[in-house]
Amino acid sequence: MMAAVKRLKRVAALQPGFISFKSSAESDDLNSGRRKRVNKNKKKNWNKHSDIQDVEEFLDDVRLQERATGGLISEKPDDSLFFVDIGEQKKSVRPEVQERKKGKKSKSRPLRIDLILQHDSLVPPPKDVLAYQQPNAKKLRRIAENAEKLAAMGVLPRRQKRLLNRRPATKTSKAKTAANNFPDRPYYDLWGGEAKETADPYYLEQTGKRRVKRPEKLNAKPSILPAVEVIAPGGSYNPDFFSHQALLLEAHEVEVKRERAELRLERQLAVKREDTATEETVFQELVEGLVEEEEEEQEEEEDVSIRGGLQQEKKTEKERKRERADKIKSQQKQAARVFTDKKQQLFQLRSIQATLKRREQRTRERVAQRKANQEAEKSMPRRLGKLKFQAQDLEIQLSDEIPGSLRTLRPEGSVLKDRFKSMQKRNMIEPRERAKFKRRLKVKYVEKRAFREIT
Amino acid sequence: MGGLQKKKYERGSATNYITRNKARKKLQLSLADFRRLCILKGIYPHEPKHKKKVNKGSTAPRTFYLFKDIRFLLHEPIVRKFREYKVFVRKLRKAYGKAEWTGVERLRDNKPGYKLDHIIKERYPTFIDALRDIDDALSMCFLFSTFARTGKCHVQTITLCRRLTVEWMNYVVTSRSLRKVFLSIKGIYYQAEVLGQLITWLVPYQFAHDHPTDVDYRVMATFTEMYTTLFGFINFRLYQTLNLVYPPKVTQYLDLTFSCAQQKLSALSASLARVVATAEEEENQLDLFPTEGEDQENMQAREKEQKEQEAQKRLFEGLKFFLNREVPRESLAFILRCFGAEVSWDKSLCIGGTYEVTDETITHQIVDRPDMDKQYINRYYIQPQWVFDSVNAQMRLPVEDYFLGTTLPPHLSPFVEEKDGDYVPPEKLKLMALQRGEKPVQEDEEEEDEEEEEEDDDEEEDDDVDDEELTEEKNLKKLEGTRAQGKTLAVKVTPGKVKPWETGSVGNKVRLEQEEKAEEKRLAIMMMKKKEKYLYDKIMFGKKRTTREVSSLRCAPAKPTRPSLRPFACRWR
Repeated sequence: MMAAVKRLKRVAALQPGFISFKSSAESDDLNSGRRKRVNKNKKKNWNKHSDIQDVEEFLDDVRLQERATGGLISEKPDDSLFFVDIGEQKKSVRPEVQERKKGKKSKSRPLRIDLILQHDSLVPPPKDVLAYQQPNAKKLRRIAENAEKLAAMGVLPRRQKRLLNRRPATKTSKAKTAANNFPDRPYYDLWGGEAKETADPYYLEQTGKRRVKRPEKLNAKPSILPAVEVIAPGGSYNPDFFSHQALLLEAHEVEVKRERAELRLERQLAVKREDTATEETVFQELVEGLVEEEEEEQEEEEDVSIRGGLQQEKKTEKERKRERADKIKSQQKQAARVFTDKKQQLFQLRSIQATLKRREQRTRERVAQRKANQEAEKSMPRRLGKLKFQAQDLEIQLSDEIPGSLRTLRPEGSVLKDRFKSMQKRNMIEPRERAKFKRRLKVKYVEKRAFREIT
Repeated sequence: MGGLQKKKYERGSATNYITRNKARKKLQLSLADFRRLCILKGIYPHEPKHKKKVNKGSTAPRTFYLFKDIRFLLHEPIVRKFREYKVFVRKLRKAYGKAEWTGVERLRDNKPGYKLDHIIKERYPTFIDALRDIDDALSMCFLFSTFARTGKCHVQTITLCRRLTVEWMNYVVTSRSLRKVFLSIKGIYYQAEVLGQLITWLVPYQFAHDHPTDVDYRVMATFTEMYTTLFGFINFRLYQTLNLVYPPKVTQYLDLTFSCAQQKLSALSASLARVVATAEEEENQLDLFPTEGEDQENMQAREKEQKEQEAQKRLFEGLKFFLNREVPRESLAFILRCFGAEVSWDKSLCIGGTYEVTDETITHQIVDRPDMDKQYINRYYIQPQWVFDSVNAQMRLPVEDYFLGTTLPPHLSPFVEEKDGDYVPPEKLKLMALQRGEKPVQEDEEEEDEEEEEEDDDEEEDDDVDDEELTEEKNLKKLEGTRAQGKTLAVKVTPGKVKPWETGSVGNKVRLEQEEKAEEKRLAIMMMKKKEKYLYDKIMFGKKRTTREVSSLRCAPAKPTRPSLRPFACRWR
């Protein structure tokens, strides 16, 4: 310790004009001991035994001075260290004190916490050198200069060019498609000019850029009936007498037909007269099994006769020969007959020709008939599903319902139904019926207790 | 020997068809979606010739589709939209169930929708194809536009249909293409000729709806969805052909708000704005070419036809109508405007009335009540049927039969074309006489005349009736034509002769022409071969017989003007 103090003194003494801040060094000086002898050829020993405290203390002192006064005291000018004492100036002190007292209340002092946290060292913080430097400044400067030159020439940088070249975002993809029944929806010329495609059609079709062509056959209408069938002249609101009667007759025929079908069904479902019980059959039923019958005997007799028929006697040789001869004879007769017939046909030429003609005529008629049927079928409703097409009732007004004027007319039938039926008739939609409500689970009726009590 | 054993139902018609359920599964759609898709794409079920073969031995009734049709459906982009919609509904339901309202809102915002434009283009490759198929669309849209807002279909659909029909009516008015009208007990039938196509449609009477229960509204709504799209595109194109602005605007009231303009449009009393303001529609003249023989005759016929059409288009031009409040305003305004008349109605009735009842220049007032309290002297008070009958007759009929309180003559259907020898109602005969330019004489005289004509020479008969000939008759005519060819050329008057309808004395000229024709015919008959003559006589005999029958029918009843018989007891009352 002693040695260290000695060294400190030495270090301080080496600095010319250095004034130590601490003044404790004098007292330590007395306790110095003997100097140790140590090998200094090992690095370990250097650290262990070399005494550097004096240097550190000196440096501490320097740092302290810098912290507290902002520089070494020795370098400070005298004016800042000393002042001339010329006694108290009473006059000037008083108002100051008063002011201070006033100010205490009026001015807010800084908080204690702020004071504690205040930076109390007078050494300014070191400057961040990097904060004032720009990396690659030279390069950047050069680039900027270059860009300016290009801009002056009118050449845009690549990034800007790319921005400009970018396709504007299509609004349609994002925009909502308006509903098809939007009342103010816009229309355009659908059949206007068409852009011609130059690309390979197969490519376009495969990539979905072009729709698959609609087959021609699909454009054929399923029926030849017109879309709007005009009502018969009898359906006028103020019809001519005869055409009105014709329409009534037509409606009447439809009705008669329907009635006849109903009657037929009724007839078929009716109980037959033979099936109803008469007195006789009732009696027979009562007596059934009580009276012995004679039928069994008869049956036996029949059995015998059948058995007799079954037993056949053997044919004799003579009989066989005769049969063979008969057969041959009949064959010959037949052949002769055919021969003569053919001969005779020579004289029947006229009648044969007539029959041929008749036959041809008949086939021709049939062909025509078949053609006509096929034609008629084109305008007939087809069977497209479970249900058959059923035409709606004919709209008619009876003679006493015909209005005198347009004002008093009561329209008949429904146009909506007419359109619907027309579509069914033209095979555009299959006839269907409204789905019936089917209850899946049974309804259970339970009498509530409270209710039961009342009744 | 042998090879693989042939299995049943693996070739032939069994593989050409597919049942509805299988098709549905192939497309992964629900039945409702499948049905909708088929309607939109125009794919209809098909009845196979041999059901048992197609149905793999079973005879159960099924709905079949052609396999190729279904395969075609697989390419349709809308199918995916349908699936997306299904998923959307599922998600929405889930969000509702969990009460995630922000989620519901987000889903609602991203609701998938689809367009039908490409389907329309695909089904109707050209505009004319679409126009030919517009009957259905028209009838359907007119029907839906009369629906009340009862929840049977979307209100939006009704509004759209209303808009489209109004646009159509305005087009017909501007192009003056209406031809026939028929008031039936079901509704009003109209027929127009648009770009050479005859288009018929049915409009229900107003307030005539009871909603039938046995109609599938969903199917009808799907059809309407398709038809509104089609109809809109057609309207656009039609407006373009006339240089009109689409969507249409009214010329005078350009500053009105949209809804008001729409109402004004639907009132049918204002004319439309044009893209290019033209002072007057230029008449399209037929090109004139020097022609010979038959061509020339054809040309003359065509010219005559065109003249008639032009005349028909200006049927009511210069007349000023006023509609009383009890007549069907919309249909009458539509028809009258179609033929160039000016129309107005009471202001309290609807927007668009241009003049008051008190206007002195009104020529006709349409009234449908027994009598009026206050009548102006300088105008006719007529019943609405006069308008319809005049349109069908292509001429202004005498107003006397249609005066206030008189019993109306029957309203005949203009869609019937009588064949030669069919029964023709006496009213129609009278009308045809009027059309020929004869003066309306006493009825009895007229009928006698007709009978005489029929009896003394049947050549007259087929000239005066505008008719469809029987097939035999046609052959005969051709034959005559070939016979008479040489003669006609020799006899023919110079081609540039003055037409009778241009000059004043109508009757005389017509008679002359008829005589000439009769002469030609007689000559042709004289030149006939024996065999042909025989055939001709036979046909003529048959014709005479039918005419005799008809005439007896016409003479027999002292016809009551309003039939009051009740001949058949019918049950659907």
